[in-house]
Amino acid sequence: MKSEELKNQEYKYGFTTDIENIKAPKGLSEETIKFISNIKKEPKWMLDWRLKAFKRLQVLKEPSWQKPKYPKINYQDLYYYSAPKSMKEKPKSLNEVDPKLIDTYNKLGIPLNEQKRLSGVAVDAVFDSVSVATTFKGELDKKGIIFCPISEAIQKHPDLVKKYLGSVIPISDHYFATLNSAVFTDGSFVYIPPNTRCPMELSTYFRINASETGQFERTLIIADKGSYVSYLEGCTAPMRDENQLHAANVELVALEDAEIKYSTVQNWYPGDKDGVGGIYNFVTKRGACRGKNSKISWTQVETGSAITWKYPSCILQGDNSVGEFYSIAITNNHQKADTGTKMIHLGKNTKSKIISKGISAGKADNTYRGLVDIATKALNSRNYTQCDSLLMGNKCGAHTIPYIKNKNSSSTVEHEATTSKINEDQLFYCNQRGLNQEEAVSLIVNGFCKEVLQQLPMEFAVEAQKLVSISLEGSVG
Amino acid sequence: MEQLFNIDLDKITSSSKKENIERKKNLELFFESGLPNKRDESWKFTDLNLIIKKNFKNISNNFDFNFDEKINFISDFEHNFILLVNGYYKSSDIKFEEKGKVQLERLNSQEKINNCNEINLYSLNKALSLGGYNLEVQKNYKCKKPIVIYNYFNSNLDNKIINNSNKIKLNQNSELTLIEYNIDAKSKFIKNTFETIEIEDGSVLKSITIQKTKSNGYFYKNIFGTQGYNSGYHNFILSSGLKFNKIDLEMNLKRENSNCFVLSGLSLGKDEHQELKTKVNHLAPNCKSYQKIKNVLESDSKGVYQGKIFVKDIAQKTDAYQLSKALILDNRAEFNAKPELEIYADDVKCSHGSSSGSIDEDSIHYLMTRGIEFDVAKKLLIKGFLNEIFENIVEKKIKLFLEKSIEEQINGI
Repeated sequence: MKSEELKNQEYKYGFTTDIENIKAPKGLSEETIKFISNIKKEPKWMLDWRLKAFKRLQVLKEPSWQKPKYPKINYQDLYYYSAPKSMKEKPKSLNEVDPKLIDTYNKLGIPLNEQKRLSGVAVDAVFDSVSVATTFKGELDKKGIIFCPISEAIQKHPDLVKKYLGSVIPISDHYFATLNSAVFTDGSFVYIPPNTRCPMELSTYFRINASETGQFERTLIIADKGSYVSYLEGCTAPMRDENQLHAANVELVALEDAEIKYSTVQNWYPGDKDGVGGIYNFVTKRGACRGKNSKISWTQVETGSAITWKYPSCILQGDNSVGEFYSIAITNNHQKADTGTKMIHLGKNTKSKIISKGISAGKADNTYRGLVDIATKALNSRNYTQCDSLLMGNKCGAHTIPYIKNKNSSSTVEHEATTSKINEDQLFYCNQRGLNQEEAVSLIVNGFCKEVLQQLPMEFAVEAQKLVSISLEGSVG
Repeated sequence: MEQLFNIDLDKITSSSKKENIERKKNLELFFESGLPNKRDESWKFTDLNLIIKKNFKNISNNFDFNFDEKINFISDFEHNFILLVNGYYKSSDIKFEEKGKVQLERLNSQEKINNCNEINLYSLNKALSLGGYNLEVQKNYKCKKPIVIYNYFNSNLDNKIINNSNKIKLNQNSELTLIEYNIDAKSKFIKNTFETIEIEDGSVLKSITIQKTKSNGYFYKNIFGTQGYNSGYHNFILSSGLKFNKIDLEMNLKRENSNCFVLSGLSLGKDEHQELKTKVNHLAPNCKSYQKIKNVLESDSKGVYQGKIFVKDIAQKTDAYQLSKALILDNRAEFNAKPELEIYADDVKCSHGSSSGSIDEDSIHYLMTRGIEFDVAKKLLIKGFLNEIFENIVEKKIKLFLEKSIEEQINGI
């Protein structure tokens, strides 16, 4: 391959919105937690819950087993809450929302105005630590579907929140999950009543804007018996020289016969080509298939972030439940990713499928780490795992670390992994037909990822496909 | 940790003063760090600390190396031999080789052993190691017959720990087949072995490990090797029937065109635990590595495979393959695998596969419709499953001998 230097395309969403903020006092302390709880007008049980997590945090240590190493984070030098001043009193309608904020979302291609919005997608827009607006609320209300910021759910639906919050990711789980439990600010809450099929895609769009601020969002989705929901998540952040922490918790609960489809297109600022700046994306995502015949499917396209460190997992408790994980992780320049999934089979006849595609270019490091655990009682269970890695150049790395545990004789586990570079013949074929090197690589990579891309809802698939091409620009040489 | 052990260092008479200090230091180091447990990534699936604590008390080092039996020689093929009693080099007879071409002696100095990938047990071995062998094959000499290591263990080894270390060196363009043959008298002991292998340019070492009898011993063996240009290392692990066994193998392919094969076929029965941990480092271009691990798990046995392929950025054109397969025949049995790839070069062909499950019912059905009884059909399929490992053994007599031994083991299930 001929070496040619190509200028990296600028990160499209790297602008900042100049807006006045209210911030919590700097640093992590009981005061900060009380400040957050107070500003969100939370009931006492919620504050107690947060403080319990904070107490637990004191004895936990930050994990260090991960492949991508990062400089020590000074947790006392961060702001844990930042919200636009205009959001102090929650606007009652879109007309009251600060035009600057609406403008920001327009620029990101997420118009909050319902008429302009593609019908079929309801959006919850989260800006730093608060939810700015949620669209199509009325239509969802008619079906009994609750789709609102979690801070609102704590006030309006305390029973549901009390019952399910922390039931999948306990507050004492691990360092970042516990940190999130103590200081989480906003995120989405979804409840789908029994036997309801959510008529539109639900979506949350996360935006980090303020500097020196961590974003700690919390999402809780409950699909009651026989219901179905498809949820999308997108994220961007401004270009900054500093690293910013994003430590979110996402909990999914699927009851009997319910199905949750969770898709993420993660495009946080990845840092510049020398590896300066970028988001640390340390996220805990976990779903529990509680009921019989339930299903949780994770799809993720990870192109952004300086470091991505997450393992969206499924706990297959109910008999005949199904867990799926489809992932594309692309790392370029100095980006690092350590991602994968955990499939814990507890119920009988449970099935799981893992398709992971890792692509590394530049000086990046890409790791798939996954666990398939079939318990003794999970008879007749089945797992199929496929992880493929593509390497571009010899300065990057691709690693596969699967943990496979099979504890009974009627279950079958299969794992396959390959690592290779782009096939020269395929490139040659494309070149011959008039595609230049970049276009050819983009085409081949899209083909490599197709199995995962086709799992995404239509609106996202188009965006994701473009993102895959852009993320790799400048990596061919 | 100190309560579990009752170690007497003073009885090790052969050591010099300097060595004595060294031994003491290492023993202290070991007591500080203790036996490895699940917190250690290399012991993720095997909590050695727990296993030893559960099964042993008052562990002391062994000084009894008496041997008054007659060696029960293998009659299937001609061979040279080494006799080790409780891990201690006793005697050898290299009668089929030219004089001076194969050097063999008791390994007295610990300095030649430097396997630092398992710190805790390494310190323990350094503190207590006694009397393994030091084997060297001269330049341009290809051994005519294999060397069989008769590894005898006495009956009075309950609650004893055996530490030994071996060193094997193949000088340029030499060849050797080494067969380790373990014969056990059913006492309950721990064996901790460290082995260093050096395979120089153009040389080939074939190593086979096999068990004559079932054993109550708890074995740990650490192998650290380096390979030169165009060299070969073939390791066949067939040591079924051990209560506990972990082989920790690290091979460094330092120069071009070298190849490393690790093939293992094990059938595990009641209360047995076997772990194979490998790390193959591809440090130069054009090297090949191939690992095929097969386990048959009965009763409440546990099989573990932790394999890692590391490919350095300059090691282009690497061809590396890892396959682990397990047949789980009982709901109490367990198979854990962690086949790992760490790759920094792009023009490589690396892949791994792992599968575990029960015996194929269609195949059983096929055989039964042809008049073969269920039990026989099952054994036939197990044999077929394990026999695949022997494909790479060229010497016919050895192959037949190994097939026979495996068959005996399967019938024992």
